[in-house]
Amino acid sequence: MLRNDADAWGAPAKLLHWAMAALILVQIALGVMAVAWRLSPTKLNLYFWHKSTGMLLLALLVLRLGWRLANRAPALPGGLPAWERSAAHAGHALLYVLMAALPVTGWIVNAAANIPLRIFGVIPLPAIVAPDKALTDLAAWVHRGLFVLLALVLVAHIGAALRHHFVKRNSVLVRMLPGKWSRP
Amino acid sequence: MNEMLRRFGLCALAFACAPALAADWAMDAAGSRLEFIATFERAAAPGVFKEFDTRLRFDPDKPAGGSLDVAVKVTSVDMNIADVNKEIRGKDWFDYGAFPQAEFRSTDLRRAEGNRYVARGTLSLKGVKQPLEVPFSWVGSADGATMEGELTLKRGAFGIGTGEWAVSDVIGADVKVKFRVKLRKAG
Repeated sequence: MLRNDADAWGAPAKLLHWAMAALILVQIALGVMAVAWRLSPTKLNLYFWHKSTGMLLLALLVLRLGWRLANRAPALPGGLPAWERSAAHAGHALLYVLMAALPVTGWIVNAAANIPLRIFGVIPLPAIVAPDKALTDLAAWVHRGLFVLLALVLVAHIGAALRHHFVKRNSVLVRMLPGKWSRP
Repeated sequence: MNEMLRRFGLCALAFACAPALAADWAMDAAGSRLEFIATFERAAAPGVFKEFDTRLRFDPDKPAGGSLDVAVKVTSVDMNIADVNKEIRGKDWFDYGAFPQAEFRSTDLRRAEGNRYVARGTLSLKGVKQPLEVPFSWVGSADGATMEGELTLKRGAFGIGTGEWAVSDVIGADVKVKFRVKLRKAG
């Protein structure tokens, strides 16, 4: 099944969800290590992979948003209180905003600091802004702040999925798993 | 003959004859540029030496007997990235404290073909002397001349990036050097 329907996610939506989930975890690890590492070729390599992965995530997000707009999202389970429905919609919207804002602010940091980048050593990344010291510092501060926010929202996202599964015992979590799952 | 007499006269007046330092072309700093392109993770990372001087004794029709002397103020290097500019002062890179100046000297200038020439000489950089061939084109004009060229250096040969920085997968081994020197007749 490719397209989403009222009850289930199609394969492309699942693939994009889990590929980006895995890449985002790798991306967080790369970013934290790059910041923490002492100045050395290893540190520069960590930044290089972090920046390349960030641009890959941005490209995947564009695909994902396109797919999401061209497909309906499966409905939330019936019987949820209004606040849970609102929280779910707001949380997902915030995740999309963060998945866009993090790579874009990272791109701004890189361009404002005038650092050349060839994504994965292959595709030259155009400068999104002109070199600017103050903008570099500002964008780096925003980038770190957004990361903290993302970490919090991810904890809420994973926590909510587990709550749906183990406490509310509905199909919200299993219907995102690969293959066909249903729960009685 | 007059020229020789004039030179001899000047030498006699100065009580010193240093042919390698005698220059009949002086550099117009405002119209000259010495830049280099390093690589960072396979992306071009350009830089420039803001201060350098070229002294040249050269007759494009008779290059033999000429000389070229380029002095580069290493501490004027600018790679236009604040963190990088700070880092390259250090001992692993240009080592400002010990080696503030680099120099290329040649007394072997030859025509390659047409307006293209080669200066064979020695580059002294960060305490290392290496033979180097500098190819350049020569274009004369009413008020002077312009020499332009480019060559590729191995940074490792001069100890630019030592220790763990010697590996070339992050900062590439090759550095392209490009120059455009505007000259006017001296004296």
